[in-house]
Amino acid sequence: MRSAGTGMAAVFAWSLLAAGTAAAAEPVQITMWSNWPDEPAKKDWVAARVRDFEAANKQCAVKLSFIPKADIYTQAKSAVRTGQAPDVFYLEPDQPEFLTGGFLEPLDGHVDLAKLEDWAKPAWTYKGKVYGLPVEAYTVELYYNKDLVKKVGVEVPLSFQLTQSGFADLVRKGAAAGITPVSQGVGDRPFPGGLLLFESLLRKLGTEDYGKLLNGTLSFKDPRVVEVMTWLKGLVDAGAYPKSFATLKLGESHYYFYQKPGSLTFPDPSWFTGRAFASPESGGMPTSFPLGIMQFPAMDEGKCPTCKTLAVAGSFVMYARGKNKACAGALLESMATVGNGDKWTEQVSLQTGLKSDPSKINSSHADYFAELNARNTGATYFFGTPLMYYRGKCAETYTQVINNALPAGLIGVGEAADKMDAACRKGS
Amino acid sequence: MAGSTALETEAAPLERAPAIGRVSDPRRASWLVLVVFLAPALVIYLGLTAYPAFRTIFDSLFTIEGSERSYVGLANYRDLLGDETFWIAVRNTFVWAFVAPILDVATGLLLALALYAGIPFSRFFRVAWFTPVLLSYVVVAILWMWIYNYDWGVVNEGLRAAGLDALTRSWLGDPNTALAALIVTHAWKWAGFNMVVCLAAIHALPSEVLEAAELDNCGWGAKLRYVIVPMLRPTLLNLYVLAFIGKMKVFDLVWIMTGGGPLWATETVSTYVYKRAFNWNTFDLGYPSAIATVWFGVVCAAVIVLNRVFKSRDRLEY
Repeated sequence: MRSAGTGMAAVFAWSLLAAGTAAAAEPVQITMWSNWPDEPAKKDWVAARVRDFEAANKQCAVKLSFIPKADIYTQAKSAVRTGQAPDVFYLEPDQPEFLTGGFLEPLDGHVDLAKLEDWAKPAWTYKGKVYGLPVEAYTVELYYNKDLVKKVGVEVPLSFQLTQSGFADLVRKGAAAGITPVSQGVGDRPFPGGLLLFESLLRKLGTEDYGKLLNGTLSFKDPRVVEVMTWLKGLVDAGAYPKSFATLKLGESHYYFYQKPGSLTFPDPSWFTGRAFASPESGGMPTSFPLGIMQFPAMDEGKCPTCKTLAVAGSFVMYARGKNKACAGALLESMATVGNGDKWTEQVSLQTGLKSDPSKINSSHADYFAELNARNTGATYFFGTPLMYYRGKCAETYTQVINNALPAGLIGVGEAADKMDAACRKGS
Repeated sequence: MAGSTALETEAAPLERAPAIGRVSDPRRASWLVLVVFLAPALVIYLGLTAYPAFRTIFDSLFTIEGSERSYVGLANYRDLLGDETFWIAVRNTFVWAFVAPILDVATGLLLALALYAGIPFSRFFRVAWFTPVLLSYVVVAILWMWIYNYDWGVVNEGLRAAGLDALTRSWLGDPNTALAALIVTHAWKWAGFNMVVCLAAIHALPSEVLEAAELDNCGWGAKLRYVIVPMLRPTLLNLYVLAFIGKMKVFDLVWIMTGGGPLWATETVSTYVYKRAFNWNTFDLGYPSAIATVWFGVVCAAVIVLNRVFKSRDRLEY
């Protein structure tokens, strides 16, 4: 009996040992959902970071999927509730419900937060902890076609900022010459139609009152707000936007600006480069395109002509109920290095919330970066876009009224202000 | 009376059969067999239809934030009464559901009559007109977004070519035309289905009635008005009710082509439920569940009412 018992114990011990060895050999697999399936530079950056991580951490394997943003959000909203969300997934700060619902893991214990830009952390800070790795950051810029602007007889001043009336003059001259003044479309996005208005409001109101407007404590019937909205309505009536504005998609508005039919200006976040720097054969900007960046116009008696919107966009978060937090945290930690920040800036030609070393960035678009930096020198930043502040009905009203109806000329200033106040004003 | 006699003759042996238990009756299956055959379908029905429906009704009484749920009674329903966007969506959906089926059925009937009349290339047209039914909503939506494109869409290009530049517009971007543009697109997709059903019904009409009409020197118009359409009435009404139910739930086409805009001009109840459930910066499923529950009741009630209204009291006999 004794020998039999000893034999059984030996077999059990051996099988445990074998299982342990197998487990040690088998890496822990984590899942990761990333956006940017159609943006090669960003996709390559993410794939390279995952490859580097796997090479340096043999105990972890990453099942990486590239999924369009809207699909990630829809799928993640179901998956986080049922415990089936990926360990790491793409998110932007305009989806705060994941934070407030308690579905995200704080990164404080996983990532060295000193490797993140200080200005980027507030976008993901909630109750004193940081929840997202802010890979993609941007400023809102006003791109223009130097040749066409000159052709319609407008000289961009050395400050690269037209006055309120100067910009209106540019719009009128463009429309008279049969050139669309502002390439913009809202066919597939909830925000582009509001860029010109809200950047102008920021310069008119200054950061403090603009913040109040976005927080719902300043009325859209404030005389200064009405003045800027009336100015914008004047531009709309003068033919500022394409006739196909309501159905023109973001990608198409890029093509509209630098290919056919061409326009004078193109307000766009600085992620403009994601599409513009693709090859011209795949819809990118021709290499000889006379691209310029000007400041949004200075409003009359504006409180802050140097103000500008800075925001965090594409980020990676960890699922709070993930079963492999060690590997997931290590992956994000491995992404948050100065070297990776440099690579992002070099490859994607876009700002990042990861710390980087500008002296080491060697980009093929150095001229573009020099101009972008020049337009941002001395800027006073306001952090966040309207949709990062607006929620629920207010966000929906912003999309329908400010993004779509007002720039399309479907609604007057008074009615637009009424609708925005009814949906967004605190206490209304 | 001869018929009843035959029935009585057949029924008699059954009544006289001795009571030797249910199993002996070959037409009666045992409970075990019944359960075995019914269980798979019942499980699927209960799991994928009944449970989600009851769960939706149950959830409508709660506010659900993250993993927290709090009972709010009928508060979601009270909020719904004051929700302006919901009522716009209801109005738009009713326009879809009551008006669009008329267009669908009328188009289908016209196409069927054209084929029945033997127009040239009718075999080709039968396939061509039915093809849109086979396309997915995504394909149809993209196709019609091109057709409606302001700059180079065929509608505006046609108007420009005809010298009617003043009529060109952004068909999907104008609140006055967006809903109508979507309804036309939907009718285009489903006309082929209605055509096939109408054609089958026309071919099933008794030829002696149609021949009698012809012998009476009845022209095409009169034959259509006084003979064919009245005899097709049950088919047309069934098609109307089917289209009505489909349109009360319309989502895909609207979501892809306009997203409910501009200015909520094409918002339907289904797109609004989706927005509230997934695009509202909240995980709360209580409120969208309340909308879905109310709409479930409205659709059921509307179908019952339509069936009663359309119920044919005078059965056609031929």
